[in-house]
Amino acid sequence: MMLLIAKRLLIACSTIIAVIILSGLLIHVVPGDPVTAMMAQSVTATPEAMADMRSRLGLDLPVWRQVMLYLWHVLQGDLGTTIRGNEPVSRLLLQRLPNTFALAVAGLATALTIGIPLGFLAAINRGRIADTAVMIIAVLGVSIPAFWLGLVMIQVFSLKLGWLPVAGSGWRNIVLPALTLGLTYCALVARMTRSALVEVLAEDYIRTARARGLREHQVLLVHALRPALISLVTVIGLVFAYLLGGQVIIENVFSWNGIGRLAVQAMLERDYPMIQGFIVLFATSVVVVSMLIDILYTLLDPRMRQR
Amino acid sequence: MTQFHISKHVRSLLAAAAIATGMALSPAVAADLTVARSVDADSLDAQKASTTQSLQITNLIFDTLLTMDKDGSVHPGLASAWSMSDDGKSYAFTIRDGVTCHDGSTFDAAAAKASLDRALDPATLNPNLSAWGPITGSSVDGKVLKVTLSEPYGPFASFLTSIQAAFLCPSSFATKEFKPVGTGPFKFVSWTRNDSIELAANPDYKNVNPLIENPGKPHLDKLTFKVIPEAVARMAALRSGEADLVEPSLEEATDLKSDSKFKVYAAEFSGQQMLAAFTWKIKPLDNPEIRKAIGMAMNRDAYANIAFEGLVNVANCPVAPNLFATDESLCAGWGVSYDPEAAKAIMEKAGYTADKPLKIKLSVHKLPGWDQMHQIMQQDLAAIHVEAEIETREVAAFFDHMKGENERTDGLPVVWTMGMSGVDPDYLTFLWKRPGFVNMGINAQLDGMLDEQRKLSGDARATKIHDIEKYLMENAYAVPLLSPGWGWLMASGANVEGFKMGFMVSLLFNDVTVTR
Repeated sequence: MMLLIAKRLLIACSTIIAVIILSGLLIHVVPGDPVTAMMAQSVTATPEAMADMRSRLGLDLPVWRQVMLYLWHVLQGDLGTTIRGNEPVSRLLLQRLPNTFALAVAGLATALTIGIPLGFLAAINRGRIADTAVMIIAVLGVSIPAFWLGLVMIQVFSLKLGWLPVAGSGWRNIVLPALTLGLTYCALVARMTRSALVEVLAEDYIRTARARGLREHQVLLVHALRPALISLVTVIGLVFAYLLGGQVIIENVFSWNGIGRLAVQAMLERDYPMIQGFIVLFATSVVVVSMLIDILYTLLDPRMRQR
Repeated sequence: MTQFHISKHVRSLLAAAAIATGMALSPAVAADLTVARSVDADSLDAQKASTTQSLQITNLIFDTLLTMDKDGSVHPGLASAWSMSDDGKSYAFTIRDGVTCHDGSTFDAAAAKASLDRALDPATLNPNLSAWGPITGSSVDGKVLKVTLSEPYGPFASFLTSIQAAFLCPSSFATKEFKPVGTGPFKFVSWTRNDSIELAANPDYKNVNPLIENPGKPHLDKLTFKVIPEAVARMAALRSGEADLVEPSLEEATDLKSDSKFKVYAAEFSGQQMLAAFTWKIKPLDNPEIRKAIGMAMNRDAYANIAFEGLVNVANCPVAPNLFATDESLCAGWGVSYDPEAAKAIMEKAGYTADKPLKIKLSVHKLPGWDQMHQIMQQDLAAIHVEAEIETREVAAFFDHMKGENERTDGLPVVWTMGMSGVDPDYLTFLWKRPGFVNMGINAQLDGMLDEQRKLSGDARATKIHDIEKYLMENAYAVPLLSPGWGWLMASGANVEGFKMGFMVSLLFNDVTVTR
C-alpha cells in the first residue's frame, strides 16, 4: 500500500511539473500580452512606455526563461503576484477555494441524490417505459444548456417567487447554482449507474444470490448496487476534480465568486501569474483526486488489492 | 395578561401627530445604494488601474487636482488655484486649505507631491504614465505644488481633471500593501474581489466639482458595488430590489426606457469615440479614394439606430464630442458622408465589380452592439463590391493582431474598428504619432502637427487640433463612427434621484437620494 502511494505521488508531482511547463509555453503562444490588454479602453501610453512596462514585468525575457523562473518559484511554494492588482496569487485562489469547493460538493451531492435513484430505476426496469423515461430525462439533462437552465431558475425562484436571492456567494445563494449543476450532472450519474447496474445484474453472483432465495430488494441493494457504485467512483471523482476547476458558466449566471470567474478574468487581462496559478491549482486538484480514487478503489474493491 | 387600552381620543391625537410630522405618509429616504456591474475593478490603486470599471471606483475614493465642466472648461479641484508660466513649462497649483484624507491626515502640497512622484515613477507601472506629459520635476513651496516640464504640454490641465489622474494620500502607499486612502466623497470599506466593493460616505467632504450640486457629504451613507456578470441576472436584481442601479444590456435599456418604473442613463461626456481605420500600406487601401469609398458606404445612422438601438449618436470627428476643440459641424465638412451610389461608382472606376469584388478582412473585437454594427457594415461594403470577411477576436488578441496587420505592406487588406476614450483630444497623439498604438502611425507631417498641438494652448491649440482632424479625415485614414460605444449605460428604479455620469463614464453619487 505504501509503495502504491509513493509511486502515485511521484507520478503526481511529475505530472504537475509537466503541466506547468506546457501551460507556461502555451499561454505565451496566445496573442496579446498584459500591457496591450491594459490599453484596451484608453490608450495613454507611448509604444516606448509600453515596452518599458513589459521589461519591468519581465515579459521581454525569452519564454523558456519566464517559464523556468516561474517553475523555480512554484517549487519554492511561491505562486507570485498578479500583474493588475499586485496581490499574491495564492491568496486570491485561497479566498475563492471555499466557494468553489462548496459549490462542487453541493452540485455533486444533488447530482448523486437525483441521478443514482434514477439510474437504479432505469436498470431494474430495463427496456420498459420507466427506463425510456429516465433516459429521456438523462438526454434532456445533458442537452439543456446550464446557462439557460440557470436563467430560468433565477426567473422562477428569485423573481417570480422571491424565495432566493439573484446574486452573491452566501449560503442561500448556493441553492440555485447547486440545483442547476446537479440537474446537469444527474443525467451523467443516472446513465453511469444504469449501465454499471445492468452489467452487474448479469453477473453470476447475482444469479447465485437469487438462487439462494434472497429477496429481490436484498439482491438489488446489497449485492448489485454496491459493486455498481464502485465503478461510479471514478466518474464521480473526475467530475468532482473538474468542478474544483470552477464552473465558469454557472458562476457567471449566479454571480458565484468562484475560481472559474477569476481564471477567465485573468485570461482576458493576460495576467500570466494568475492564469498559471489557476492551472497549477486545477492540475493539482485533478492529480490529487485521481490519486485518491486509485487508493479508494483499492480499499473498496478487495479484488484490486490482489492484482 | 396586561392589556393596553388607548382611548379614541388619544388615537385621534396620535394620528393627527403622524400626519403633521409626515411620519407615516412619506416614503423613507434610504441611506444605502447597491450598484450591480458586469465586471469588477482590476485594482483600486488609481495609479495602476486601467479599466473604466476600476477608475469608476477610484474616482469616488480619490479626487483630482482640477475638475472639468460640461463645456470642457477646467475648474478647481484639490487645487483651489493654478497658473502656468509664460513659456508653458512650469505650473503652480495652490492646494486647497482644509482638505483631509480619509485617515484624518491633512492633504497638503507635500502630500500632492508624494502622490505625483509615485504616479511618475516607472516602477509604479502606471498605464497612464505617458499622459502626465514631459514632467521633469516638482517642488513644494508652502501651499503650492510646482511642476516643471521639459516643454509646453497643452493637454496638461485637461489631463489633471481626468479620472486617470487621481491624487492619493501618502498613507495609501506608505506600506508595501496598497490601501485606498483618498480625499474623495466616499471612503473605502472593503473589497471582496469579483464579488463586492463597499464604500462609506466621507462626512468631511466638501465638493468643488461643477458637475455636482451637493456641496458637502454625499446624501448616501453606504455605497455597495456588486459584480453580477450576466445581464439578465443584473436586470433580475434590479427588478427584485437587490440592486438599485445596474448596467443594463442594450436590449434591456431600450425596454426600460419606455417603462415609467425605471430610468435609463446614458453618459453624455463619455469621451468615447468609435472609428474605422485601414491598413493603408496595403494596396488598394493605399489609395485615399478607395478608403473614402469604403467610408461613404458606411451607413452610420443604421449602426446607431439598429445595432445600438438608438442609444448612441453618430459622431463626425476622430475625437469624441464635448472634448476640447471638438466641432462636430466642422468635422462633418471634412469627412465622407453616406453615399453608397457614389462609392460604388468609385469602386467600379477602380475596376471592382460584382463578379470581381475587392476582397478584404473586417477585423474587429467583440463588444455588445459592435457585432451587429459589423454585420450591417459587411452588407454596406458588399453593396459597393467590397467582399468583407469578418474576423472577430477577443480584445487583447485583437490589438496584438492589428500590430502586425498595420505593419504589413502586402496581402489581404484590412478594415478595422476600434474605440478610444479620454478627456482631451491629445489621445490622437497616442494613436497616430509614429509608431503609434498598434503601429497606427502615419507620417512625419502628421507627427509634426501632433507634436505642435501639445506645445500650444487655447485657440491656437484648437486650430492645430482641427488641422489634424481635417488631415486624418480628408485623407480618409480614419472614418469616425459613433459615440459613445461601451459601458456607457446605467439603469435604476424610478426611486433613485440625482444620479449622474461624468467624464469617461465616471459615476457621480454625491447628489443621489433613494426612496424606498
